[in-house]
Amino acid sequence: MNAPKIPLPELMTSGHLACQGCGATQAMRFALKALGPRTALVLPACCWSVIDGPFPHSSLKVPILHTAFEAAASTASGLKAGLEMRGDTETVVMAWAGDGGTFDIGIQALSGAAERNEDIIYCCYDNEAYMNTGIQRSSSTPIGAWTTTTPGVHWKKRPKKKMIDIMAAHSIPYIATASVAYPNDLIEKFRKAREIKGTRFLHVFAPCPTGWKLAPELSVSMARQAVTSKVFPLVEVTDNGRTWKVWKDFEPTPVKDYCMAQGRFRHLSEDELRLVAEGIEENWQYLLSREAGSAFVPGLQH
Amino acid sequence: MGEKITFKSYKEMPICAMSGADMTYNLTGSWRNVRPYYDFKVSPCRLGCPAMENIQRYIFLLTQEKYEEAWRELMEANPMPSVTGRVCFHPCMEKCTRKDFDQAINIPAIERSIGDRGLDNPGWMKKAPATKKETVAVVGGGPAGLSAAYYLARRGYPVTIFEADAVLGGTLRWGIPEYRLPNDVLDRVVAQIVGSGPITVKTGAALGRDVDLAKLEKEFAAVFVGVGLSRSRPLGVAGEEGRGIERGLDFLRRVNGGEPVNPGRSVAVVGGGNTAMDVARCARRAGAEVTVVYRRTMNEMPAIKDEIEEAEHEGVRFRFLAAPKSIERGASGPLTVVFQQMKLGDPDESGRRRPVPDGDATFTLSVNTMFTAIGEEADAAPFGKLLECDGNLIATKGEWGETSRKKIFAGGDVATGAASVVEAVAAGRKAAERISRMLSGEPEPAAEETGTISIENINTAYFTKGKRLLVPRIPLDEALAGYREIHTGYDDRMLRREADRCFSCGVCNFCDNCWVFCPDVAVRRLEAEYEFDYDFCKGCLVCVIECPRCAISTREEGK
Ligand SMILES: Cc1cc2nc3c(=O)[nH]c(=O)nc-3n(C[C@H](O)[C@H](O)[C@H](O)COP(=O)(O)OP(=O)(O)OC[C@H]3O[C@@H](n4cnc5c(N)ncnc54)[C@H](O)[C@@H]3O)c2cc1C
Ligand SMILES: Cc1ncc(C[n+]2csc(CCOP(=O)(O)OP(=O)(O)O)c2C)c(N)n1
Ligand code: SF4
Ligand code: SF4
Ligand code: SF4
Ligand SMILES: [Mg+2]
Repeated sequence: MNAPKIPLPELMTSGHLACQGCGATQAMRFALKALGPRTALVLPACCWSVIDGPFPHSSLKVPILHTAFEAAASTASGLKAGLEMRGDTETVVMAWAGDGGTFDIGIQALSGAAERNEDIIYCCYDNEAYMNTGIQRSSSTPIGAWTTTTPGVHWKKRPKKKMIDIMAAHSIPYIATASVAYPNDLIEKFRKAREIKGTRFLHVFAPCPTGWKLAPELSVSMARQAVTSKVFPLVEVTDNGRTWKVWKDFEPTPVKDYCMAQGRFRHLSEDELRLVAEGIEENWQYLLSREAGSAFVPGLQH
Repeated sequence: MGEKITFKSYKEMPICAMSGADMTYNLTGSWRNVRPYYDFKVSPCRLGCPAMENIQRYIFLLTQEKYEEAWRELMEANPMPSVTGRVCFHPCMEKCTRKDFDQAINIPAIERSIGDRGLDNPGWMKKAPATKKETVAVVGGGPAGLSAAYYLARRGYPVTIFEADAVLGGTLRWGIPEYRLPNDVLDRVVAQIVGSGPITVKTGAALGRDVDLAKLEKEFAAVFVGVGLSRSRPLGVAGEEGRGIERGLDFLRRVNGGEPVNPGRSVAVVGGGNTAMDVARCARRAGAEVTVVYRRTMNEMPAIKDEIEEAEHEGVRFRFLAAPKSIERGASGPLTVVFQQMKLGDPDESGRRRPVPDGDATFTLSVNTMFTAIGEEADAAPFGKLLECDGNLIATKGEWGETSRKKIFAGGDVATGAASVVEAVAAGRKAAERISRMLSGEPEPAAEETGTISIENINTAYFTKGKRLLVPRIPLDEALAGYREIHTGYDDRMLRREADRCFSCGVCNFCDNCWVFCPDVAVRRLEAEYEFDYDFCKGCLVCVIECPRCAISTREEGK
């Protein structure tokens, strides 16, 4: 057999409690393959606090500290400080939170930690809603989506929050988006993050077949199409928020195909779909302008 | 499978909520209602190849840089890849899945590279010893006979080839010119086959003249007849036997024998098959202006597409829907040939529309030489008394080349009429397999699995569009200056590049995707294969979709 495409050692075991086709589990498996066994996790309330398994069992072979929904970044900061006091500089501390726990309730702890440039990795696995409690909208839920709190004609009318901009505005050393459909890229980004000191923010797109009304077998395929339709661009921001890099080396696919495979978008009319697609194109152009350095962003000069 | 921890009292609990074991006690396989399983299919190219070459497999071996193994795999189905890789009409490419994505894989170019590598590495062919006592006679040393001899000899049967000519090769030698198949390549192919096992060659031994079929039937345990087509069909026009008119095959034989030829400045070739194309191209090389006259249209031409294109490229002109009607010749100088204009009428038994005269319309051509190439036929005299025939051809039953006599088998053009090298090779191999089973009492093989796939089953997200890599060629003026081989073949880098384009349809090539993407870590990556762990597979089927090549199928649980 050829050399393996991704590292062989497994730090996540079978038997976990995720739904069929869960992207969040793939995200975790890849991330840990990149970071290795000297990793300590901080998990706020989210699907992953359930997926991992009931006490005294865990499907991860690294230590996990479960914490309150809003406290991932502050708990991780404390854990890192504690390890340092004990002379452990090797263990990397990673807060692993959902989009609700990151974009909404955890944002002040995250903003505080990033502003202090705490030496932690913060990973948001993004399934675009509060899935663990039954699919409520978050500020990461995309425009057009059905959730249990945006039902029927009340589908979400507001666009997804620009989390990468918010984190870039904190002038932290490393920010990247990644997708479970591109494991090599994801692993490379986590490896890079491991080598950097300071706050590193990773935003991983992780499809949720249950919450998206999506056939489970299509979850990776959706993650891929999210990238190729520019719904979820792969971006890297380095140099304390100054340098933006947008991945463009793909065959573009229509936003419509991406949306129509998922029940959560199926109510959208042609016109509404067009508006969604226009918003996505606008965001893409915006990212390209950030990459070109042509956007004027005050407050980033040091 | 892990252990489940249950605490009998609080005293057994750790001082804080700390995990003590993993989750593998939890057999999530019970959630599954559909099961994925590895299920390799037959790639469409293989079904398109008359010799059923395992194209996917030898290309895969190439991508692993296992050149010798690739050659062995190829030789299992075709003992002359250096020949077919140069002259085959490649129906495999018509079936290639990649055709529906960008362009078909250049299968013959790959085949040729592997074959030539086998010729360059004589150590790869280890001579098979004679292990069987039954001897087999093979009559005819063209592709059909050589193939039959090879597969019998490889199985340990002593074989004697009876060939009427002074050398082996048949149409490969006397028909196909050197610019497509150089003699030295053919010589090495023939030598490799003859040296592959207990094969004795008797040249100058013609069936019906020097050897008798009934006698062979008595002396040998089995006989394979592959004598091809030895007679050119006559035009049926008054004056066709005479100065300025030559049979195309005779002309090719002279050219291929190295005889200088001078057909004059203006040449007409009548016919639309491979012979017509090669005659026209040889006449171009002898400096003539050449017009091919065919009685139907370009669409009905039986010649290989590549050959028609090459002929056009070399400046051969075509006139369609015309047939010679009369020939006028003086004591010397050019002939005047009158052609009847034709039109297409109702379809004939071949399904092609029959040409019929289009009223009185005619035209004339003044030519130094007119070659006739309207088809070849078999000479039934050497076998017609003993074997049941279908016209001049030997009548065979089924795919294994059985004739009306139990011990006599036949294949190649003498059984099918004018066909192709690869079909002759396939017929020779199949007859050899059948003869071997007859002599050893082996059972018939089980019907082969032919479940296949098409472009809808390929996950094209894993492939980038590109173009087929053409085989490099020498410039036109150099090509027309002599008989040098036109196509020079791939170098190693090109071979690898084209091999890498193959989808590996329906067969795992160890891309790792199923193992990588399984959310439940339920795919085990073993030494030389993958395995599903049904204790944990939840049946999400992500692996099925992410397998780029449809090597995984599904089955409902409980069914
Ligand atoms: C000019 C020309 C170009 C062609 N080009 C192509 C091409 O590009 N690609 C392709 O696939 N096909 C091509 N073909 C067709 C192809 O060559 C034949 O289909 C193929 O060679 C048939 O193989 P065979 O072994 O049945 O017969 P042959 O190749 O004809 O071999 C028959 C052998 O039997 C010998 N023989 C004949 N009579 C006797 C006898 N009485 N006793 C003993 N031996 C005898 C002959 O000398 C010869 O060696 C071409 C044919 C011609 C004529
Ligand atoms: C303060 C607080 N409010 C509400 C909850 C209930 N709760 C637990 S997980 C969760 C949703 C988490 O959503 P997200 O962060 O997106 O992660 P996901 O479940 O989607 O993976 C909620 C609302 C809680 N645990 N604590
Ligand atoms: S892509 Fe490869 S395996 Fe598939 S049909 Fe073409 S040559 Fe055969
Ligand atoms: S991806 Fe894993 S869990 Fe899903 S069907 Fe395949 S083996 Fe089973
Ligand atoms: S996904 Fe790749 S490794 Fe798995 S069966 Fe298909 S080809 Fe083989
Ligand atoms: Mg969520």
